[in-house]
Amino acid sequence: MILQARNLGWRVGRTQIVDGVDLAVREGETLGLVGPNGSGKSTLLRLLSGILKPTTGEVSVEGQPLDALPRRLAAQKIAYLEQQADTGEAITVRDAVELGRTPWLSPLQPWSHEDDRIVAEALADADLHGFEKRYWAMLSGGEKQRVHLARALAQRPRILLLDEPTNHLDVRHQLSILKLVAALPVTSIVALHDLNQALTCDRVGVMAGGRLMALGAPEEVLDVESIAEVFGVRASIVVDPADGARIFRLDHIR
Amino acid sequence: MTIAAAGQHSMARLWWRWPAGVVVLAATVFAGTCIGETAIPLSVVVQTLANKVVGATYPLDPIDMGIVWNYRLPRALVAASCGAGLALSGLVLQSLLRNALADPYLLGISAGASTGAVTVTIAGIGGGAVSMSLGAFAGALTAFLLVALLAKAAGGGVSARGTGQIILAGIAGSQLFNALTSFIITKSANAEQARGIMFWLLGNLSGVRWPDVTLAVPVAAIGLVAGVWYARALDAFAFGAESAASLGVPVRTVQTVLIGLTALVTAVMVSIVGSIGFVGLVIPHAARFVVGVRHGRLVPATALTGAAFLMAADVLSRTMIPGQVLPIGVITALVGAPAFALILLRGRRRP
Repeated sequence: MILQARNLGWRVGRTQIVDGVDLAVREGETLGLVGPNGSGKSTLLRLLSGILKPTTGEVSVEGQPLDALPRRLAAQKIAYLEQQADTGEAITVRDAVELGRTPWLSPLQPWSHEDDRIVAEALADADLHGFEKRYWAMLSGGEKQRVHLARALAQRPRILLLDEPTNHLDVRHQLSILKLVAALPVTSIVALHDLNQALTCDRVGVMAGGRLMALGAPEEVLDVESIAEVFGVRASIVVDPADGARIFRLDHIR
Repeated sequence: MTIAAAGQHSMARLWWRWPAGVVVLAATVFAGTCIGETAIPLSVVVQTLANKVVGATYPLDPIDMGIVWNYRLPRALVAASCGAGLALSGLVLQSLLRNALADPYLLGISAGASTGAVTVTIAGIGGGAVSMSLGAFAGALTAFLLVALLAKAAGGGVSARGTGQIILAGIAGSQLFNALTSFIITKSANAEQARGIMFWLLGNLSGVRWPDVTLAVPVAAIGLVAGVWYARALDAFAFGAESAASLGVPVRTVQTVLIGLTALVTAVMVSIVGSIGFVGLVIPHAARFVVGVRHGRLVPATALTGAAFLMAADVLSRTMIPGQVLPIGVITALVGAPAFALILLRGRRRP
């Protein structure tokens, strides 16, 4: 198990945001996290990344407790793409992506050609070729999202934690980013809103009220009854006659 | 141009900028030593430096030699250190707190220093055994500790809200200590003392001698080394403290070390020369317009610009009105504000 959480919980004041989550992530899989707004997906990702200290339970990475790991080493293993990180600095796309190399550099370990190569690759993967010299303030929401993804990729992590990476993206880039994440030789946990996108993950976890309600293969976890219970919508399954793929059609419960 | 070629790093390719910076700095110090109210020929300045530094034995007028060696040179060196130190402190706080209006006096340091200074000079605490500088230093540190404690108790920390707390705590601290200063002045000072204090508050380099140099130069150097050492960590704060943490920066440690150093550098500088405004707030922005936002370049550029700017301001303050020395804080704002306006206008093409 590359990433494991035991009885993970986080509370602010008297409000329990994440409650008793047990989770074991297998090496190389893509795990989708779905759940309504405020179900604790983002907080769970922040706990798993080590940025937030849990109030109960613990996270371990490759068998080692994450707490005991220095930040720098943790960031060499785990990259976390947060929602809506913004800056007022006149920073260029290339500058922003180069930040991804931070955990691998130190004053005594300066920038190398290898770092240049990795940054160029990350820019290409996020389809940002030709954007290197654009300033942050001149990017659209979707382009900013892709810069964040490129920064996370430049970190060369073993585990990618992505908080709604398809937010703001046009349809083509939504598809290509999910495909890219699935094809990368890394373990990824992806918070998603689109249930049809969740169907393409290896496994899916369903969050509600801070708890992990279900975890398993997409077709087992995302059935009509559980969707009605967790999201309060009526789902019907449509099969594409071209290739037999299942698609959700969602509607209000009448 | 390929992506890799575009990414050739300036730190490696442009190594010559470091020695070039040192040369520019030395030239500015030299110019500051040559220019003054009393006209002293260039040859006398050079011979004085030769006598003192390499042990040459040119026969010189001891008064001229005294002006150059004991008065102008230490003054130029302290002005340079002070400019570099304050500008670096401002830069570090702006980057860490992600607030363009952050300056070294944000943490209540300047207000605390003035309270310390008036406590010693006017209220007479310490019975003359404590110098005004020492009083200012003690006041500055006291104010900073109070502000830091308040920020911590109010939940200051890694979050966006946490960085806001230290700014708010700083405002509360500054108000408190400024009020204390006014209280002491109105209660105890006579007109002469009040005028003297006002001069000190606006910045004054006229009392500076060699012992001040041996304090100011190392402190500024420590600030510069720390800034360069943590350049990548400061870069990582561009998208906020959480983002920095996810990039492997030990946020708490970096914040504690750098804010602590900022407080120390500022307290030392303020205790030597009084509170000089404008430098810490504006020089980092000016440097950003020229070299961009990456701290590997920005930290040295800020230090150099701050040093050169304050030395130039000091020369102006001595020579602008014959027979009268203006407070240097007046010059920094009078000259600096229009200069900065120009930079703002020229930089409007950039987002």
